[in-house]
Amino acid sequence: MGVLDGRVACVTGGTRGIGLGIARAFLDEGARVVVNGRDPAKADRTMKELGAGDRVHFIAGDVKTREVCEAVVDGTVSHFGRIDILVANAGGAADFAPIAELPDEPLEDALRWNLWHSFWCMRRAFSYMIPQQSGRIINISSVEGKVGKPGLSSYVVAKHAVNGLTKSAAKEVGPLGITVNALCPGVIETDIVKEGGAGAAAAMGLTYDELLAQFAADSAIKRINEVEDVANVAVLLASDAGAGITGSLISIDGGTSPY
Amino acid sequence: MGKLDGKVACITGGTRSIGRAMADAFLGEGAMVVVNGRDPAKGAACLQEMGAGDRAAFFPGDSSKQDVVEGLVDFTIEKFGRLDICCLNSGGVQATAPVFQMTDEEWELEVDWNLNHVFWGMRRALQHMIPRQSGRIIVTSSVEGKLGKPGLPGYVATKHAVNGLVKSAAHEVGTLGITVNAILPGIIETDIVRETGPASAQAMGVGSYEALIDLFCSESSIKRPNKVEEVAAVAVLMASDAAKNMTGCLFPVDGGTLPY
Repeated sequence: MGVLDGRVACVTGGTRGIGLGIARAFLDEGARVVVNGRDPAKADRTMKELGAGDRVHFIAGDVKTREVCEAVVDGTVSHFGRIDILVANAGGAADFAPIAELPDEPLEDALRWNLWHSFWCMRRAFSYMIPQQSGRIINISSVEGKVGKPGLSSYVVAKHAVNGLTKSAAKEVGPLGITVNALCPGVIETDIVKEGGAGAAAAMGLTYDELLAQFAADSAIKRINEVEDVANVAVLLASDAGAGITGSLISIDGGTSPY
Repeated sequence: MGKLDGKVACITGGTRSIGRAMADAFLGEGAMVVVNGRDPAKGAACLQEMGAGDRAAFFPGDSSKQDVVEGLVDFTIEKFGRLDICCLNSGGVQATAPVFQMTDEEWELEVDWNLNHVFWGMRRALQHMIPRQSGRIIVTSSVEGKLGKPGLPGYVATKHAVNGLVKSAAHEVGTLGITVNAILPGIIETDIVRETGPASAQAMGVGSYEALIDLFCSESSIKRPNKVEEVAAVAVLMASDAAKNMTGCLFPVDGGTLPY
């Protein structure tokens, strides 16, 4: 018997990294899960890995557009009949540069990827959760939602905004049986970090390895975090035990964030 | 199979309310637990209610006293051979007065109960955990560890201080397999809150105990008090292997009260 038996979850960016870890943890606890991702080829591999049969369903699309975000939420409801848990997990940033040299486009892209995506998915999910007077929204933010880093302003700004959205939304739906929280992980060596990390490091004047070393040095545990660290907290928030936790920006960063 | 099979925990103020919910949850996950409390009769009743046989024990004493807190840690290690999880949970509002009227004696009551107790317990537990390179320290703080309330300066100041202690300690032992975290509950109608709530309400100028509860609820997003089980669930997570990389975290269980 799992703590999420009978629940239906939707995880954006769920074919790898943190999203995949959350999808797996939810499936282990008895939930049915919709996984979204850009690449159907990666999804085939992911579905095989998960081995959860008809308890998992893939919906393709890039969450940087409203149509996709809404289709992923609607598709969850049409496939499994309801939506109990939304994990707005996809996100990242690219083309990092110091603010003095930063064009508009990378900031716009980061806002679409992190902030608009969370907003579009959350708004659509509320249209189902408010009538049913129950639900869980989990935004995957970052330690960069609480602290700044030079050269990474697009990402830092977008994640801070996600944290603000989380807190406002929590107050709006607090009495309706819906919780809204953000998880703020430290750096984790996911595929997306491996792909974009070199660019981020360069904007900070570091190599990729130096960037990881600096994040580890900023923490208390002196090592980077792991996908499972985040998934385990997501399960708690998604379960009945998480009913009294909302509007929280939970640090899963090995003791990095000052608050 | 439980998440805490074979682990040994001790809990200050564990016979009732939040501490008791932690004890029940830990026992449910397979741990062995020593609960502390001031009243031996409540301790005996607690052991009977928990029905965990040899897996539970009671250590009597006032946790605002150094010898009691250190004695609890030592007793736990002697009784079960080790200490994996140290929950420094007891605390509350003993002295209610605005700053300009508060006496040194009242101030000291709050500091001993809410701050020194945590320091004494943490220090003793870490002396045992550091050589073993593993352990969990879980401190029951409060939303008042981040916010202020009039009339409760001792409680507010000591809960802020505890949060600082947690963050410093987390950095000290972060590479040693030991995590140090705090849980920040919103208002919960525990026995201690029912006992001391009326005086707090008066000191805060809100009139009645009911008005005090209403005020805290209105400041939350969920518009209700929290529950002891909600705190216990987070404590289980922090105590388990699943949270090995979570440390220095001030984890709110406050229904959306805190602004940060």
